[in-house]
Amino acid sequence: MSTPISPPLAVRATGLGRSFGQTVAVADLDLAVPAGAVFGLLGPDGAGKSTLIRMLATVLTPDTGEAEIFGNSVTTDRAAAKPLIGYMSQRFSLYPDLTIAENLEFFARVRGVGRTERAQRSKELLESMGLAEFSGRQAQHLSGGMKQKLMLATTLMHSPDLLLLDEPTTGVDPVSRREFWRILAGLHHDGRTVIVATPYMDEAERCTQIAFVDRGRIQNQGTPTQIKALVPGRLFEVLAADPRAALAALRELPEVASPHLFGDVVRVLWRQPDEPESRIVPALAAAGVTDAQVRSTEMDMESAFAFLAESAAQSAEAGAV
Amino acid sequence: MRATLDRIAAIVVKEFRHLGRDPRALLAVVITPVLQLLLFSYAISFDVDHVPTIVVDLDQSTQSREYLRQYQASSFFTVVAEAKTMDAVDSAFDLNQARLAIVIQAGFGQQLASGGQGEVAVLVDGSEPTSARISQAYSVAANQLYNQQLTQQWADAQGLDLSSLGMLEPRVRTWYNPERRSSDFLIPGLMVVIIAIVTVQQTAVTLVRERDLGTEEQLEVSPLRKGELMVAKLLPWTAIAFIDVAVIIGLGRWLFGVPLRGDLGALALGSALFVFAALGLGLLVSAVAPTLDTANILALLIAFLPSFLLSGLAFALDQIPVVLQWLSYAFPARYMVTISRIVFLKGGGFADVWPELVALAAYAAAMIAISTLLYGRRAAR
Repeated sequence: MSTPISPPLAVRATGLGRSFGQTVAVADLDLAVPAGAVFGLLGPDGAGKSTLIRMLATVLTPDTGEAEIFGNSVTTDRAAAKPLIGYMSQRFSLYPDLTIAENLEFFARVRGVGRTERAQRSKELLESMGLAEFSGRQAQHLSGGMKQKLMLATTLMHSPDLLLLDEPTTGVDPVSRREFWRILAGLHHDGRTVIVATPYMDEAERCTQIAFVDRGRIQNQGTPTQIKALVPGRLFEVLAADPRAALAALRELPEVASPHLFGDVVRVLWRQPDEPESRIVPALAAAGVTDAQVRSTEMDMESAFAFLAESAAQSAEAGAV
Repeated sequence: MRATLDRIAAIVVKEFRHLGRDPRALLAVVITPVLQLLLFSYAISFDVDHVPTIVVDLDQSTQSREYLRQYQASSFFTVVAEAKTMDAVDSAFDLNQARLAIVIQAGFGQQLASGGQGEVAVLVDGSEPTSARISQAYSVAANQLYNQQLTQQWADAQGLDLSSLGMLEPRVRTWYNPERRSSDFLIPGLMVVIIAIVTVQQTAVTLVRERDLGTEEQLEVSPLRKGELMVAKLLPWTAIAFIDVAVIIGLGRWLFGVPLRGDLGALALGSALFVFAALGLGLLVSAVAPTLDTANILALLIAFLPSFLLSGLAFALDQIPVVLQWLSYAFPARYMVTISRIVFLKGGGFADVWPELVALAAYAAAMIAISTLLYGRRAAR
């Protein structure tokens, strides 16, 4: 696909803010999402991702600022914005006692989808998602992955141009997650815009663009490669028979940044110009971990995320002092 | 307009599906009203007859036995025991064997024969005030009757014709419910209470449930308007409440023989408006209650107590404290109980109940408007 010089924006938000009592959930947030993007929202719990998505979905009124969905204001022109939006909330929000087919039918009808179109769309969606054979089953008797797919299908019944998905795969098994993302890839291919909040770093890698949200603001934004490039230093893996002991020892080394367990290895960020092996191995041996090996690895989203979260926390603390 | 109707239809269909999937809810709205009617009608009876009575005849004379015969003959009293001492009265009251005691003092016959005052003590067990009051009234009446008989006997003995003597004879008649059967009086009112319980309770939880399920947000992103949602939530329950009304009227007529003398049209319109008013009240609860439990309890408080106590059903409205009288205007039950009784018992029609119909219509409109407004404001959060 050739990208136009200035792509039309699916979402434009300026100075968006929302508080709940004393808690500031989103503060003075600016956002521009080009049409056709798969836009990932990353950030720790309580960063304001859900609040942002709910404001964009018109279910929550912003205290300050403005947001537009394809040029339609979410505050003053909700009636025009709503038909363009498909919103999937964080928790299961369908009728548990209704069947798959009845849930699809109901939400599509309330959305004004005509009878013949309803039948055709639900058939297509259920078949493409592998739910067709369960269409008579009550939603409460579905597995976690099937529930999420059903919710996605429900939001797709009226063919929205913008999908707002709030952690759609949280608590879903890896196979179902992969399948879910296969469906999203198809939507992306059709030219839909997807904004998805996710706690999973492998999902972030699948996005065309990601924004790192913390403390109600977008701290960084770019392609996954650009976000990873924000991290100063290189990523190394430390292998040891006892990775937990190695982690404890590495935490004591001042020149090692954000050490964390990654499977059976410890990943560390190395910001010095020289190679870390000659300094880490002896230091670990002195701490009792004698079998340590160090090898270089490609920067991953998890480390970038951890680094960005830590530095955001530090700068916030510095700001507070 | 078509889109509006289609959205409303979608919700109505969905509500009936919920009901169909939940046997307990179905039971609650169809079977419970019938059970409530049967229970209430049999349990709450203000009819007093066959009052268990103990008689203590300390005189044992012809006169005393004659006097006591009227108690044995009357269906108001059932003589359960004849005792010789006062102690027996105590124990009979204690054991709940008797509620009324008639004690004839020694010398009763002699006194009467000598033209003096015969003394009869009437003791009433006051632990149940209503039946105590009525038993007392009965026995006073019985005594008056006996007095008249005595006077008649005396006059006959003296060869006097009392018909030439001017005597006051009150002729008391009870209109609308000549036998003063309490079921005639109760069932038209009970119908109101039962409908209030079913409707307020069910609608009170309906919006809260949408919120709990998270479906509220999904409806929020749709073009569905708040007013449409409210109307769509009301319609299924209106239909069900009407079935309940029909069942209760049917049971009342065929099982309890309650007459339906007035205009059925006025009763139907009144019921429709009352159902809307009660549902509106339920929606109001639903719009403000934070949790399902709160909604349930609030609904019970609002539906049951005022409709029972402040509607004229249990207590006549002009006999309750003034503050409560004012308060009773805040609940729709009082208007409907009035309509119901006027139509059932007094044979009234539109001409008689229009003020109540207008009040109910205004009440229903206000409730639905207020709850729509409150619900909208909550959703905007």
